[in-house]
Amino acid sequence: MATESGGSEFVDTFPDEAAIIKASFLIAFVSLGIGAFFGLIQALHRTNVLRVIDSADYYTLLTGHGVLLAIVFTIFFLCGVFHWAVARSLDRPAESALFSWAWVGLMTTGTVLATVAILGGLVPNLGMSADVLFTFYAPLQAHPIFYIGLAMFIVGTWLAGADWFLSYRAWRQDHPDERIPLQTFMVLTTMIMWYISTLGVAVSVVFFLIPWSLGLIESVNPLLTRTLFWYFGHPIVYFWLMPAYLLWYTVLPKLAGGRLFSDPLARVVFLLFLLLSTPVGIHHQYLDPGIAEGFKFIAMTNTMFLLLPSLLTAFTVVASVEHGARQRGGEGYLRWLGALPWRDPAFTGMALAGAMFAAGGFSGMINAGMNINYLIHNTLWVPGHFHLTVGTAVALTMMAGSYWLVPQVTGTKLYSRPIGLLQVIMWFVGMVFMSNAMHRAGLAGIPRRTAEPQYQNFEFLTPIGSIFELRVQIALGGTLLFLSVVLFLFNILLTSLGEESDRPVDSYLPEPLSGPEGSPRILDNLAMWTGIAAVLVVLAYTLPLAGIIQNGGGLFGGGLPVPATVSAGFDLVLTTVTSAFNTLWGVVA
Amino acid sequence: MKLTKARALILIAFSVPVAIELRTVAGFFNVELPLIAVAVIEFLFLALLFVLYGLYGEGSESAA
Ligand code: HEM
Ligand SMILES: [Cu+2]
Repeated sequence: MATESGGSEFVDTFPDEAAIIKASFLIAFVSLGIGAFFGLIQALHRTNVLRVIDSADYYTLLTGHGVLLAIVFTIFFLCGVFHWAVARSLDRPAESALFSWAWVGLMTTGTVLATVAILGGLVPNLGMSADVLFTFYAPLQAHPIFYIGLAMFIVGTWLAGADWFLSYRAWRQDHPDERIPLQTFMVLTTMIMWYISTLGVAVSVVFFLIPWSLGLIESVNPLLTRTLFWYFGHPIVYFWLMPAYLLWYTVLPKLAGGRLFSDPLARVVFLLFLLLSTPVGIHHQYLDPGIAEGFKFIAMTNTMFLLLPSLLTAFTVVASVEHGARQRGGEGYLRWLGALPWRDPAFTGMALAGAMFAAGGFSGMINAGMNINYLIHNTLWVPGHFHLTVGTAVALTMMAGSYWLVPQVTGTKLYSRPIGLLQVIMWFVGMVFMSNAMHRAGLAGIPRRTAEPQYQNFEFLTPIGSIFELRVQIALGGTLLFLSVVLFLFNILLTSLGEESDRPVDSYLPEPLSGPEGSPRILDNLAMWTGIAAVLVVLAYTLPLAGIIQNGGGLFGGGLPVPATVSAGFDLVLTTVTSAFNTLWGVVA
Repeated sequence: MKLTKARALILIAFSVPVAIELRTVAGFFNVELPLIAVAVIEFLFLALLFVLYGLYGEGSESAA
């Protein structure tokens, strides 16, 4: 990790990059504000505490909430982080500022189009809506501009990735024998994973959903669009998580007063995510009737392997933080915890995010188990789970990271540390209430994605406490979370309006305890890892996709579905390959 | 170790999940804890923290 040149600040060394990052953060934070407001309305509505909207509009807001938070906020923010990480770790500006603005512009245009389509659903007689939720697969159908906006957004992220690869290529020419700096390595591996996985959703949107919503084709194969969505829908969770990991590995140890334990281990973890995050998407489809059980079993096995890099991360990050605490004079088995810089909202926020992620990991294992998944599938347990992961491990890390990153790109000091600290703690407490109650409600069978989960002549039962308490906890937690977002936005706004400072924040990052020198160079062979990742994807998806096309009535649906078997897909692949071979043979002979 | 405001806030934060699931833990030992008992326990914890903060908190010396 290169040290800052001459002690000058990021915004002075890289003014163009700082502008790009500020723009990305701005859009991320606006989306966060709107999305959190929708979240509050949902939390109060479905618990029947306060109903300000018509239940029919619930899905419009829920779509806005999911898209603006899980797609727009997270991805815009991570693009800012990646732009920062590449410039600082390669110690060079992007190749072309104009190109950088091009991806920011394209992603922003896409966001505006998709958001207009979604919010159009609130205006009667407009004839425009996109109440398809953030998973947007058929048979739900949105206005074409929703899909077009989405496609523009994704192409924008591709260009952003190209921007960072171009920087890397230019750097490589000047440094032919050096190891890839860790932060850039993390960005590049994440982007390779993103390219592989967005291919699926791009095919789904461009070939099926856009033509279908324009009326150019009559029907689609719904299971195919679902499967293509989840082909991308699992890797996207790592697209959210890896920037958080980047901050945990390279920034959190410094904030704790120490340094990263092992650079090579961090590289191994990112490679494992590159390899393993795509061939598991079917674990979201355990209840889909059109996919044979055998494929689901394979997806489950792959998923359990993903625990490995997650646990490696937990151990490395905790070890690095403990090292920091001991540098600060911490002692004992657990007493060192007290020596950590809890007053610093950037540190505390990331540490709390990590703690909640551990809980999210445990509930995730329940989701991943093929049989136990049936217990919680489509219940409120699932939002309970992912508000710990993307909603806290990622979102809270991003907010906490902002307290350290935003001053670097604005050149102004953080407006208030105490408010920042209060904010991250409020998020933690709010999420404990909301997420825990959601998990419990899910165990009681309360469904997700429902405006009024209150039924006549039917009572949900809980083993301990009451459904009423759970409702109150969800509403209370949601309110605290919303207030926390308000505090965050207010603090960041006042920070950016503050006076320029010579030293807005201590942005120096120390070298890891164990550097990359001793590790095998093959870790840096990105082309090879990309190849292996692609092979794994082909192995995991060829037969299931062939089966879905065969059994689900063809590429565009319409035919009569037949029961799913492993052999159906195999037949299709076999006939396709034989006929291709025969044609080839005919040409050659 | 000094009980700073930040440390006190962290302790409060971590007491919340413990309080929420206290009845479950008690249930493992076949103890049926009513909601009000949980509220009282959490209240006592906060009161204790308040007292400790008064004794050893930031106010007792210059802020750390
Ligand atoms: C102010 C804080 C938040 C509140 C009060 C909140 C509340 C909620 C509620 C009550 C639901 C469930 C609705 C239902 O299934 O009927 C929900 C769903 C969801 N939330 Fe949040 N949330 C918050 C923050 C976040 C954050 C930060 C993220 C991600 C970065 C997020 C992502 C999602 C997603 C993806 C869904 C699922 C939408 C769907 O089912 O299509 N939320 N939220
Ligand atoms: Cu998944």
